[in-house]
Amino acid sequence: MPTFVYMTSCDGCGHCVDICPSDIMHIDTTYRRAFNIEPNMCWECYSCVKACPQNAIDCRGYADFAPLGHSVRVLREEEKGTISWRLRFRDGREKNFVSPIRTTPWGSIPSPAELPRPSDAMLASQELAHEPEALKIEGGLPALTPGRLQPGFREGL
Amino acid sequence: MALFGGRKTVHVDADILVVGGGMAGCGATYESRYWGRDLKIVCVEKANIQRSGAVAQGLYAINCYMGMQWDENRPEDHVRYARNDLMGLVREDLGYDIARHVDSTVHKFEEWGLPIMRDPKTGRYQREGKWQIMIHGESYKPIVAEAARKAASEVYNRIMVTHLLRDRTRENRVAGAVGFNVRTGDFYIFRAKAVIVCAGGASHIFKPRAVGEGMGRTWYAPWSSASAYALPMQLGAKMTQMENRIVLTRFKDGYGPVGAYFLHLKTYTENVYGKEYESTWYEDTKALVGDYIDRHPVPTCLRNHAILKEVAAGRGPIRMVTREAFRDPHKETVGWENFLGMTIGQAVVWASQNIDPKETNPELTTSEPYVMGSHATCSGAWASGPEDYAPDAYQWGYNRMMTVEGLFGAGDTIGGTAHKFSSGSFTEGRIAAKAAVKYVTDLRNDLPDVDENECRALEEAVFRPLETYRVGRNEIVAGTVSPSYILPIHGLQRLEKIMDEYVGGISTTYMTNEWGLKRGLDLLGMLKEDMAHVGAEDLHQLQRAWELNHRLLASLAVTHHTLFRKETRWPGYYYRGDYPKLDDENWHCFTLSRYDARTGEFAMETAPVYHIVD
Amino acid sequence: MFTINPFAELSATIPGGVIQAYVILMILLVIGGTLFDVLHKGSARYFFDNWSRTQARGGRPLGGGKIAALAVQTAAVDVLTSAEFCNQHRRIAHLLTMYGFVIYLVTTLVLVFGGTGVSGLCIFLWYAGALMACAGGFWFWFFIRVDVLAEGHSPFRLVRADLFIVSLLASVTSGILWGAAQSMGGGALAVGFLILYVGASTVLFGSVPWSKFAHMFFKPAAALQKRVEKANGTRRGLPAPADRPGTLGSSRRLPQNY
Repeated sequence: MPTFVYMTSCDGCGHCVDICPSDIMHIDTTYRRAFNIEPNMCWECYSCVKACPQNAIDCRGYADFAPLGHSVRVLREEEKGTISWRLRFRDGREKNFVSPIRTTPWGSIPSPAELPRPSDAMLASQELAHEPEALKIEGGLPALTPGRLQPGFREGL
Repeated sequence: MALFGGRKTVHVDADILVVGGGMAGCGATYESRYWGRDLKIVCVEKANIQRSGAVAQGLYAINCYMGMQWDENRPEDHVRYARNDLMGLVREDLGYDIARHVDSTVHKFEEWGLPIMRDPKTGRYQREGKWQIMIHGESYKPIVAEAARKAASEVYNRIMVTHLLRDRTRENRVAGAVGFNVRTGDFYIFRAKAVIVCAGGASHIFKPRAVGEGMGRTWYAPWSSASAYALPMQLGAKMTQMENRIVLTRFKDGYGPVGAYFLHLKTYTENVYGKEYESTWYEDTKALVGDYIDRHPVPTCLRNHAILKEVAAGRGPIRMVTREAFRDPHKETVGWENFLGMTIGQAVVWASQNIDPKETNPELTTSEPYVMGSHATCSGAWASGPEDYAPDAYQWGYNRMMTVEGLFGAGDTIGGTAHKFSSGSFTEGRIAAKAAVKYVTDLRNDLPDVDENECRALEEAVFRPLETYRVGRNEIVAGTVSPSYILPIHGLQRLEKIMDEYVGGISTTYMTNEWGLKRGLDLLGMLKEDMAHVGAEDLHQLQRAWELNHRLLASLAVTHHTLFRKETRWPGYYYRGDYPKLDDENWHCFTLSRYDARTGEFAMETAPVYHIVD
Repeated sequence: MFTINPFAELSATIPGGVIQAYVILMILLVIGGTLFDVLHKGSARYFFDNWSRTQARGGRPLGGGKIAALAVQTAAVDVLTSAEFCNQHRRIAHLLTMYGFVIYLVTTLVLVFGGTGVSGLCIFLWYAGALMACAGGFWFWFFIRVDVLAEGHSPFRLVRADLFIVSLLASVTSGILWGAAQSMGGGALAVGFLILYVGASTVLFGSVPWSKFAHMFFKPAAALQKRVEKANGTRRGLPAPADRPGTLGSSRRLPQNY
């Protein structure tokens, strides 16, 4: 289902161009609206569909295996932390789903630079940032002892 | 904004350069800042890190979580699991290292705002299977990218890194990277003390089943263009297990994931006559691989093998029995949300063909092969192991440093570490970053020396396809057919056809042999020569041209490795018709290759497999 | 300069009837061009087909009164305040350009057909309208235009989509400069700007079938349809908004990440 853009909904804002991981959403030179320049390199990831403020982008299943008449549309509401889906089958059946996408405000993740500066000893250790606390286990970071090595069936050939 | 469209050359100095802003790259960027407070951390990405890499679309599960806090698994268990699934051959030191750290990564994800489902009875994370936990991960990547953006000194989006830079005086040391801005066409020269390659594995090196508009519906993202391998290879870093391509059993056409269906929804597969089929092939498989077939869980490749045999016997297609499970409305919701969360295309296929799994048991298929390092496969660079326990043969410097000084890697880039998935890739990025900070700290004033002549030569080479097209275009009236140049899509489709027919793709049911592999190498060699004549009409096509160069280099490595390993280690992934059996006597080892960019030659060797965990 | 009616000065050398005929010709070109555009492309037919398809898809039936109310809303909000734009800078630029251009058009008609008794206010408004259109248009052209902002192209790369904005900006800019040259005594400079002015205006009004000029006709129709689909619940297949308070903010950034 490569993406396509509804002519009358797109206002040429560029969010899809900005987000497409495959670099295939670009601006048409006749109408200054977005379109999919390379449908066969579209993963149907819906990144552009979700990013479009006008809901102007939709998908039509890949021509080589998807018959017409279906619709899988999405409304991603960041401020609510939700994503809503509406599926319509070729025969008209519908299904609706809503899921959470985030539990904290956008932009709320602290930079690691705001945390206390680690010591040189910590840098020399095997522990990563936030460890051992973030492991939530007793006894610290698990480790192996080198003495337990067993070579494979043959040590090289 | 380039006022008159002229291309600029931009120099960027960094202490640590992270190439690729997917899961591994975001982990590396975050951790670099934690340990390197005063360092300049630069992350460079060919798309936009908000939605880039394999997790751009979202995920409905985190497939690598130990649950040590609830005594669910220990890191050793994960090593045994991955070793078993990969038919004995994994870098157990690296795998253990990821497993012991991965829980802290997942706990941070939850703290950052990723909705992880909880079991209402136990209060623990909702398990999908032994290693998988279920998430509402539509915004998994935007959340992780936010952490990376906060940590980075600078994030450069839309820059396709084409080459790593070699130190001018020290042959085996990295000095940075070059690439071009896909929007402005500016040439970027990054000089860095340490480089962490976190680029993506390879889709589109074997011909996909869908060949028209649907060729983009590959299992792995079409933007995963093998830069994970091509970039280190160009510098002479050793690669391992490149023959270990993966074939996925997935829902037909959309390649929708089956994990949640098997593990959580408890659906199962049957042949077209409604019969169980795996036991039919037990003896046959045992004759090929010995007691590996008796391991639990049955290795992924062997389950593929049973499907391939059953279909070849005329009792296909294999179908997933969903009708029973989907009577439970909760399970039906999970079944659909699972797709909408990570493979929306499968929902579209089912909606378009009126397939409601409540009423129809959907078909499964085996995909074309992929080369990557984070799923049930472990292709990638040969890397140094953790300092505290890795055997000497696996340790020559800093953790996750490749065989090139100052060059680190994580995610798809690092070989031998299967089953790390999204959380493990992020974790490996963190591990590599901490080691890179140590490396940079130890360097003190030993700065890398970038060769300006090399940069100029690379700049000319990087933009040559634009010039080839501009000049060559005069020869023809219109259209895409020229006797003097090929377009990136032409080269890509030729590559896919060669790999498909000679190196074990779908059209031979994953079968190859020595003659075919050598013929494949001949044809790949000609394609490599033709890549000197690839034309690009614009910067977008220039990106495609360099993706193709990266894919081609990785394909050469895959073919050389497949030729070198004279056994069939992973039936169901690929078959050597001339060596149809698993051969532990001679091949219980890693295969290693080193590519020489000057001569184009591959030097092959083996390396021992150490079983660290009993 | 804002007190000189450039058209009055012009009528000293060119008969007023010729100027008026030119303006009427331009109006006819726009009407003819739009009709050609609509018929040739079948855009009106598409709109009505799509309208009946939407009705056939069900949803709550809306009475004539309700549709009329939606039409009023469309006119008052979507058209008059350019409310459809998600980017506020772009909305302001569009409002400046739109209202500036409308003022400039109306005052042009008054100045050309109003004879000698035109008020000073009207002359001032002609300049003010043109300047507003310039302010919005150039802001858009150099900074907001998606080709420059998101695509990273040079602002001087011209494509067919630029025909409308470039000819509009050329028309109002050369109009202002023509007026300014006259206030400085006319001469060759004024003649030069007049030629530019007439040329740009002819392209602007004559290129309707090839430019984006027609958007001012189909955009309001599309905005009305969007409101109707929202009111009747069909929403062009989109799901209904989630039933949750919006408290988490947004991660949306300027689409310029390169």
